[in-house]
Amino acid sequence: MPKVVSIHSYRGGTGKSNTTANLSTSVALQGQRVAVVDTDIQSPGIHNLFGLDPERMDKTLNNFLWGQAPIEDAAYDVGGNVGVQGDGKLFLIPASIRPDDISRILSEGYDVKLLHEGFRKLVKGLNLDYLFIDTHPGLSKETFLSIAISHVLILILRPDKQDYQGTAVTVDVAKQLKVRKMLLVVNKALSSMNFDALKQKVEDTYGTTVAGIFPLSEDMVQLASEGVFCVKYPDHRVSQEFRKVALQVMA
Amino acid sequence: MAEKHDLKSLASAIQSFASSSPFLSYLTELYEKYESVNEGTVANYIPELGKALPEWFGICVATVNGQVFEVGNCNQLFTMESISKPFVYGLALEDYGREYINSKVSVKPIEETLNSIALDEKSKRPYNPIVNAGAIATTDLIKGNGVGARLKRILDMFERYTGRKHDIYMPAFVSDKAYGNRHRAIAYLMLNFGIISEKIDETLDLYFHQSAIQVNAHDLGVMAATLANGGVNPITGERAIDERYVQDVVSVMQTCGMYDSAVEWAYRVGMPAVSGISGGISAVVPGKLGLGVFSPPVDEGGNSIRGMKVCEDISKDFGLHIFNVAQPKHNLKDLIESGESVDDW
Repeated sequence: MPKVVSIHSYRGGTGKSNTTANLSTSVALQGQRVAVVDTDIQSPGIHNLFGLDPERMDKTLNNFLWGQAPIEDAAYDVGGNVGVQGDGKLFLIPASIRPDDISRILSEGYDVKLLHEGFRKLVKGLNLDYLFIDTHPGLSKETFLSIAISHVLILILRPDKQDYQGTAVTVDVAKQLKVRKMLLVVNKALSSMNFDALKQKVEDTYGTTVAGIFPLSEDMVQLASEGVFCVKYPDHRVSQEFRKVALQVMA
Repeated sequence: MAEKHDLKSLASAIQSFASSSPFLSYLTELYEKYESVNEGTVANYIPELGKALPEWFGICVATVNGQVFEVGNCNQLFTMESISKPFVYGLALEDYGREYINSKVSVKPIEETLNSIALDEKSKRPYNPIVNAGAIATTDLIKGNGVGARLKRILDMFERYTGRKHDIYMPAFVSDKAYGNRHRAIAYLMLNFGIISEKIDETLDLYFHQSAIQVNAHDLGVMAATLANGGVNPITGERAIDERYVQDVVSVMQTCGMYDSAVEWAYRVGMPAVSGISGGISAVVPGKLGLGVFSPPVDEGGNSIRGMKVCEDISKDFGLHIFNVAQPKHNLKDLIESGESVDDW
């Protein structure tokens, strides 16, 4: 059965798109058919990680939401850019980075139900095993819907008071929405912290499994979204942690 | 989306939004469109029928994939009346085969009333299995040792069609039997021409029993979907009728199932259907779906007013007329599939 996986955080800057790119790539490298939808329409960017040139983006998620194209026309095969071979497939459905398009979305909004229908068409049309949804941070009707239809919800937080409080609200919402499986990912933890103790504390606080804890990585910062980290540095500690989380998504 | 501003209400609204079905929304709009129609009258030729409330109204669509969409009073029980006839005809076909059954009952539509005491002038056969004469003749052919055994075979058959056991509404049976002199006259006329056996009392008992079987709109939808699915109940997977005879049953529904309105129905709606005086309609869209509608107020021809309107709208909106080749207003497959749960993707 195909799985829908939403990656979300209460605040921006938590590493949501990086996590989405690395997890989806890790799953595709396992021979799965995977697609990633950039629903962060107000501030899109995940296409950079997959090496998709905006000049090549003839159709985007925006065109589908405005009734100008089928959603499959906005699906780009980016597997070759990240070394996915064989049975594995990796598609990206980017959002437009044209200022006029972003402006239109900000002023008009979009039909959430249509987006939901687009997800279904992608899963069926591309015969997907996994659909990853990169969400806009914070709580909104769009986010709630993504959470409600997800088989797996990954909430990313930093060890930071604002993130802790916001995540508590998000966890409450997710529980109310009866999300099937929720996993927490702690990102940008200082290397000096005791990761085991941090994991225990977060799990006790939220009553939810922590799937992985990622250190604040200079190597990740240095890569500067010029690719998918676990492909560039497959043996790195961070890449191993991504693979560990990916296995929990697939479990 | 949510009027209350607490988290629980918001989550509940989001959940219903996420799981809402566009096709169910369509049916709900249709229900609301015709809910206030107050044409027609509740049949009362037997007292028990007259007890139905005119506001009862249920719509059920069952697809050949086993999806069911319901709006309104789809659990309200009512007696089958004439809706049983094509299905019993199918059982008789299984018992004796097409050739023999055709020698006993013709398949000609007639303009005369359902209760006509008329047989085909040349062959002396009843005109079709839907008029009372034809239905009595097919009932006579149901195999079994005595009324109990024969009735059990009919009830078992309906259980295969609907996936559940059915009861007889005894007051309706008693009423029908008490007012059944015309049926006796038809039976004796057919006995005179050698169309039916001498077990007239037993056959008429069986006939009145089958008319008094209780069903609801959900059942009618699933029964029609079973025929649409080649005779296999799409929910239980159980075969209800030999696939060779599905076309016979559906054909007599198409030509005779709506009685005096059959020709106009074929022209305007184009769905093989059968109707009962108690307000039910069971309509078949081969290969796609079954439609069950229940609403007691009927027109002069004995067909449910709301039921006919619902069937006509669905036929037009989705291009389900048997001869339609035009692009429909809505794509049925898209509308149904877009409401699938994420677990069905």
